[in-house]
Amino acid sequence: MSYRVGVDIGGTFADFCAFDETIGTMGTVKVLTTPDRPGQEVIDGLKALEDRFGIKPADISYFTHGTTVGINAIIMRKGIRLAMFTTENFCDVLELARLKMPDPYHLLSSRPEPLVTRDLVFGVSERILADGSVDTPLDPESLKAAVDAARARGAEGIVISFLHSYRNPAHELEAKRLISEIAPELHVFCSHQVRPIIREYERTSTAVIHGYVQPRVSQYLSALQDALGGLGVAPEPMITKSNGGVMSVEVGKSACVEMLLSGTAAGVMGAAFVARAAGEDKVLSLDIGGTSADVAIITGGQPGYGMNETVGDFPIYVPTVSVTSIGEGGGSIARIDTAGLLTVGPDSAGSTPGPAAYGRGGTNATITDAFVSLGLLDLSTLGYGMVSVDRNKAVAVIEPLAHKLGSTLEATAEGIIGIAVSGMFREVTKLCSRRGIDVQEFSLLAFGGGGPMMACFLARDLGMKRVIVPQSPGVLSALGGLTADVRNDFTETAYYDLDAANTPRMRETIDRLIEKARHWMVEEQHYHGTPVFHAAGEMRYRGQSFEIEVPIDPAAVAAGDVSPITEAFHAEHRRLYGHADTDAPIQIIAINFVVTGHSVKPTLSKSDPEPRDVAPEKTIHAHVDGARREVALYRRSELTPGARFGSPCVIAQDDTTTIVPTGFTGTVDSHGNLILTLTETAHAH
Amino acid sequence: MRTDPVTLKVLENHAQAVAESMAYTLFRTAHSTFVKETEDFTTGLVAPSGMTFASPRDLGATWFIGLDYKGAIDLIDSYEEGDICVTNDPYSGFVCSHTPDMHIWKPIFWDGEIIAFAVGHIHNTDMGGAVPASLSRANTEVHQEGIRFAPTKLVSRGVLNQQLVDTMMLNVRMPDQNRGDLNAQIAAVNTGEAKMHAMIRKFGVETVKNGIEDLLDVAEARARAVISDLPDGDFRFVDYLDEDGPNGVPVRLELNLKIRGDGIVMDFTGSDPQLKSALNMPTGGNPRHILLMVGFNYCLYTLDPSIPLNGGILRSATCIVPEGTVLNPQHPAAVGMRSLTCGRLQGVIMGAFHAAAPDRLPVGAAGGGGIVNVKTFDARSGKLSMASIDPVTGGAGGSALGDGADGSGANTAFLKNTPVEINEIEVPIKFRRYGLVPDSGGAGKARGGMATELEVEVFTPDTVVTARNRDRSVFAAWGGAGGMPGAPSLFTRLTPDGKRIDLGNTDVVPLSPGDVFNLTSGGGAGFGDPFERPVELVVRDVLRGSVTPAAARAHYGVVVDIDGVLDTATTQALRAAHVAPQVETYSYNASRRAFEAIWTDANYAALTEALSMMPVHWRHFVKRSVFERIAALPEAERHGDGSEIRAAVEAIKASVPGLASSMDMLEAAE
Repeated sequence: MSYRVGVDIGGTFADFCAFDETIGTMGTVKVLTTPDRPGQEVIDGLKALEDRFGIKPADISYFTHGTTVGINAIIMRKGIRLAMFTTENFCDVLELARLKMPDPYHLLSSRPEPLVTRDLVFGVSERILADGSVDTPLDPESLKAAVDAARARGAEGIVISFLHSYRNPAHELEAKRLISEIAPELHVFCSHQVRPIIREYERTSTAVIHGYVQPRVSQYLSALQDALGGLGVAPEPMITKSNGGVMSVEVGKSACVEMLLSGTAAGVMGAAFVARAAGEDKVLSLDIGGTSADVAIITGGQPGYGMNETVGDFPIYVPTVSVTSIGEGGGSIARIDTAGLLTVGPDSAGSTPGPAAYGRGGTNATITDAFVSLGLLDLSTLGYGMVSVDRNKAVAVIEPLAHKLGSTLEATAEGIIGIAVSGMFREVTKLCSRRGIDVQEFSLLAFGGGGPMMACFLARDLGMKRVIVPQSPGVLSALGGLTADVRNDFTETAYYDLDAANTPRMRETIDRLIEKARHWMVEEQHYHGTPVFHAAGEMRYRGQSFEIEVPIDPAAVAAGDVSPITEAFHAEHRRLYGHADTDAPIQIIAINFVVTGHSVKPTLSKSDPEPRDVAPEKTIHAHVDGARREVALYRRSELTPGARFGSPCVIAQDDTTTIVPTGFTGTVDSHGNLILTLTETAHAH
Repeated sequence: MRTDPVTLKVLENHAQAVAESMAYTLFRTAHSTFVKETEDFTTGLVAPSGMTFASPRDLGATWFIGLDYKGAIDLIDSYEEGDICVTNDPYSGFVCSHTPDMHIWKPIFWDGEIIAFAVGHIHNTDMGGAVPASLSRANTEVHQEGIRFAPTKLVSRGVLNQQLVDTMMLNVRMPDQNRGDLNAQIAAVNTGEAKMHAMIRKFGVETVKNGIEDLLDVAEARARAVISDLPDGDFRFVDYLDEDGPNGVPVRLELNLKIRGDGIVMDFTGSDPQLKSALNMPTGGNPRHILLMVGFNYCLYTLDPSIPLNGGILRSATCIVPEGTVLNPQHPAAVGMRSLTCGRLQGVIMGAFHAAAPDRLPVGAAGGGGIVNVKTFDARSGKLSMASIDPVTGGAGGSALGDGADGSGANTAFLKNTPVEINEIEVPIKFRRYGLVPDSGGAGKARGGMATELEVEVFTPDTVVTARNRDRSVFAAWGGAGGMPGAPSLFTRLTPDGKRIDLGNTDVVPLSPGDVFNLTSGGGAGFGDPFERPVELVVRDVLRGSVTPAAARAHYGVVVDIDGVLDTATTQALRAAHVAPQVETYSYNASRRAFEAIWTDANYAALTEALSMMPVHWRHFVKRSVFERIAALPEAERHGDGSEIRAAVEAIKASVPGLASSMDMLEAAE
C-alpha cells in the first residue's frame, strides 16, 4: 500500500486528500483547525484518514502541506518585533508607500500602520547610485549606532533595505556581516536576498513581510517535522508555495515569503489539474469559502502568474498564481440600507459565528442562510458531519428582512442570492475587460465549500455555457498540493534596452540565474530528476511604466540575436493591449527565471460507460427560480461516469452541495466530474 | 420608486459592471504613459438627461463623479445610431474644463430611442498651444492652450470623420499618443454600448430605463438623508491661493454654505474676479458644475461612505457663481491650471462643512507642494532627459476621529509617487532626501499629517525644474478648535557655494550643475488643543520622529527626550499651568492673519462689489491696481471698513479714462 497525502489548512477546516497510488482513487477528510495549537490538526487529520480509510502513517509515500501560519501572523500582527535599516534620509519608505490611499474618496482614509513602525527604522550612512557605483561608503560607526538603538528598543530582528541594492548588494551584505558580529542574537534579512527587484517600497515591503513571519513559520515547520516523524511519516514534507509549486520543508524554513498565499494557489493548481484531465482549454475557476470568493483564469491547463499581490494590508512581490477576489463568500451578510435597498456584503459572518443556520451563534442573514431558507441546503449535514443545518434558524434571520421589504421570505432569499451573484458578475466582467478575454468562451470550474452552491447562478448571469464540479470540490487545495511541481523563481534587475549590444549582459545574467537555479534544485532541494528551466523578461516600451512578461530563448541571446524576443514582445503587447509600436525601443527591466522539477502526478481512474439516465434518491420541494418546484436530490456517490440528469436538482456530498437551477442538464464525465450545461439562456429576473 | 429594491441593486451592479468594463478597456488599450500613470481619465454611463448614473470606483480620476453631460449633449442637433461625439472646448457646454481633456459620448439606442450615453474623458499629454503639455499658469487666453473642438461628431453613423482627426493631429506635439488614446476612448464607449445592449436584453428596456432614473433618485435621497443629519445654518469660509499669476497677489475663494433641511445652497459670491492667468475655473454658471462640487462629493462621502457615487447626489445642492469671476469666467479667459483653483476650492468647501460637522470632518489638508518635472541632460553623453518625478503632497488635517494621514491624504489621496530608484535610473539626478518632515503637521489634540520633502541634486547646465500647482508658501492649512495650522510649503534652491534661495511659488526654475532643490509641501493642520493630546501619543510621535522634543515641550507641554523618556513631573506642571486657548472654529497662520488685518472682510467685500460693476476685461487689472494702492497706504489711513478700497477704486477710475468710458457703456447697455 502506498498513499500520497495532501493537506491544506484553511480558516475553519484542515482538508486532507489521500491518493491511493495502486488503484488511482482518492479519499478525503476534513477536520477542524486548531489555531491555538498549530500542527495538531495535521495529527487529527492523519488519525481520521486511518480511522476512515485505514491509511497508516507508514504507508504514506509523499506528503504535501499548505499552512496559514505565516499569513495569520501578518493579519493578526503577531510576527517578531522587527527593526529596519535604510539609507540615511530615506527612512519613511514604508510610511509613504506609493502615497495613494486605500479609499481616495474618503477624506479620513489613511494607510495601515506598517509592520515596522518609524521608531524602529534607522538610517545608516551609505549610498549606492543607480549604476551600482558607491557614492558614500557604508559607515560602520553609523551602523553600530543603529544596531545599539534597535537593540535598545527591543528589536528581535533587522531588515536591511538600502537604495539600489538590487544592483549592488555590497552594502547590505556588509551591514549583515557587521550585525552578525555585533549582535549575533538578531535575525537579519537583506532586501536583495528576499527579492532583488527595483522599486524600493515594493522590495522593502516584501523583505519586511518575510522577516516579520520567518522565525514563526520556521518554528512551526520544525514542530510539524517532529510531529510527523513521531507518527512515522517517512518522506520529507513538501510545502506548497504561492507560485503553485512545492519545496522541501527544510528549504521552506528560510523561504517563508514564498508560501504566504499558497492556499489559494494550491486550489487553482487543483483546478488546473482537473481542467487538464477533463480536456478543458479555457477555464475560469471559482473558489468560494465562508469569507472569500476568488476566481482565476486557467488557459491550456495553466494558471496565470502575477507579481503584485496583497498579504493582509501590504503588497508583496513574489511570483504568485493570479487570483482575483470577487466577493466575500457564503458568509456575506445581507442588510437593508438607509434607502431601503437590500445589500449583500462586504461584511461577512465568516466561519465564526458563520451563517445563522449553522447554529453557532450567527444572528445575521447570510447567503448560505438564503439557500437554506429556500429548502436547497437543509438536505444533509455538511462538512463530514461537523456542521448541521437548521432551516428554522435561517428563516428566522431572513424573515425580518422580508418584512422590511414588504416581500415574501422566498423573494427575499432569492433577492439575496441574486444581488450576491450580480456583485460577482460585476467583478468577473471587470476582470475580463482588464485581460481582454470573452468569458463566454470559458467553462466555470467550481470548488470550495460554496463554489458548487453558486456556480450555476453566476454562469447563467455571465452567459457561460458550462459548469464543472470536480469530485471533491471541498478539498481541491489539498489535491492541488499533490499535483504541484517542485518550483522556484529567480530574478535579476536588468533595466537596459533590448538590443544586440546588450546580449552579453543578458547572457551573463541568464548564466548566473541558471547556476543559482541548479544549485537550488540539486543542493538545497535534493531533486534528482532533470529540471526544466524557463527564462522570461519583464519588458516594456521605453517610457512606459508597466511591464509585460515575455519568454526569452537563451539560445537566441547566446547567438546575439534579440529579434525573436523583440517580435514576441510586440506580439504579446498587441495581444494584451490591442496595439504595438514596432519602431519603439524596448526596455528589459528584469530577467525572471523559473526552474521546475516534475513531480509524479496522481493518475485518476477513468471509465467511459454508456450514458444513462439516473433516478434521484428522492424528490424534494424547494423554491427555485421564482417558484416552488419539485427538485431532484442526488447523492454525489451515485453520480458515477456516464450518469445523466436534469434540473432543477441538488447534489449532496460530504464536502459541499451543488445547486443546479432550471435550464441546465447534467452529465458525469469519465473522471467523475459533474458537467452542467446551460441549455436555456432565458431566465426570470 | 418604479423598481423594486432587490432588482434595483442588481441593476446597479450590472450598470457598474458596464462602466468599469469601459474603464478597464480604456486603461488596457490607451497608448500614453500619462493615462496609465496618472489615471487621469473617466468612463461612465449617463442618462439621456446628461446625469451620470454609473462610474467606476477603483480606476480613473476621482473628480468627475456626477459630471453633467447635458451642456455638450444639447449642442449636437440630432443623434443617430453609431454616432460618437467629442469636445475639448472649455467654453462649449461646460463639460470639458480644460483643453487637454478630450470628452467623448456615444448615444445608446434601443428601438430607435436613446436609453443612455456611454461617456468618458482622457487627459491628453498635449493638445498644442503656447507651451508643451498645453498648460501654463502664465497663459492669459484660452487660445494659447491648444486646438479646441466644439461638440462635434467624430463618428457619424459608424463613419469616422478623418478630417477632424487629421486636423487634431496636425496641431498637437505627440500625435501618435493622441491618436492611440482617442482609439482607446472609442473602444471604451463601444464596449459601453455593447454591454448596455446586453443588459437591456437581459432585463428589458423598461426595467433598465426605470432603473436609471431610480438609481439617480436613490442617490439623491441618500444625499438628502446625510444633509438632514447636519444642523441648519449658514457656514461661511474663506481661503486663498497665494498668487493670482506669476508674482501676483492672493486669490480669494469665499463660500457661504447654507444648510436648510435636506438641501444645500453653496454661494460663492465674494470670490475673486476672473484672472489674467490660467487659474480660472470654467463652470458656465452651472449651479451643479462638477468643478464646484468635488469637495461637496468628498464631504458627503466621508459623512456616509455607503452613499452611491452618481449624479443624483448633486441634486441635493445648488451653487451660486457670479459671472466674470474666477469660478465662472467669460471666454476667452485661460483655464488650463483650473486644477490648482479647484483643489483649493475643495478645501474651502471642506472648511465650511467642517463647521457644520466638526466632530466628523477634518480640518485643513496640506496642499501646495506641486507636481515636479525635471528636464536635464546626461553629463557624459549630453542626452536630454525629461520626466515627471513626483507629486509632493502633504498630510491630511486632524479630526475628532484621529490624526491626519502623513505625507498625503484628504483631497490628494488619489495621487501616486514614483520610486526613488526608478527616478534615478531614468533621469541623471541624485535624490538626497525623500521623506516626512518633523514638526510640519499642525499641533493638536489630533495632529495634522506631516509634510513630504524632496531634495534633489542636478549635474548639468540648462536643467529646468517645473513644479506645477505650487501654492501654500504664504497661507498654510487652517486648524480648528485650538489646533494649530500646518507648516507652509517651501521651495528652495541650494547652490554649491552654500547659498539658499527661497523660490516661493515659482513654478519654473532653471538650475546649474551642482545645484540642489528642496521642495517641501505644507503640513496638515491640527484639531483640538494640543495640550489635551494624550501624553503617550506625544511620546510615540517623538519616538517616531514626527515631533521633536522641543516642539513636544513648546506645543504639547510634554517633556520627553529623543529616546522617549518622559519627565512626568515637569509635564504635569506644564500641562497644569496651561491656559486653554479660546476655542474658535478655525485657526490661521501668521501670514494669513497679517493679510487679513489689511484685507478685512469689509475691504474685500468692497473690492468684490466694485469689480462686479466693471466690465469683465477690466476686473483683474483694477484688482491688481487696488492691491498696489492699498500696499502703499500708510498705516494710519487703513480703516478696514471698505472706505480705503472705495477711495482707491475712485482714484483708479479717475486716472484711467478708458475704464470710466467702458463702465459708462456697460451702464448704458443695462
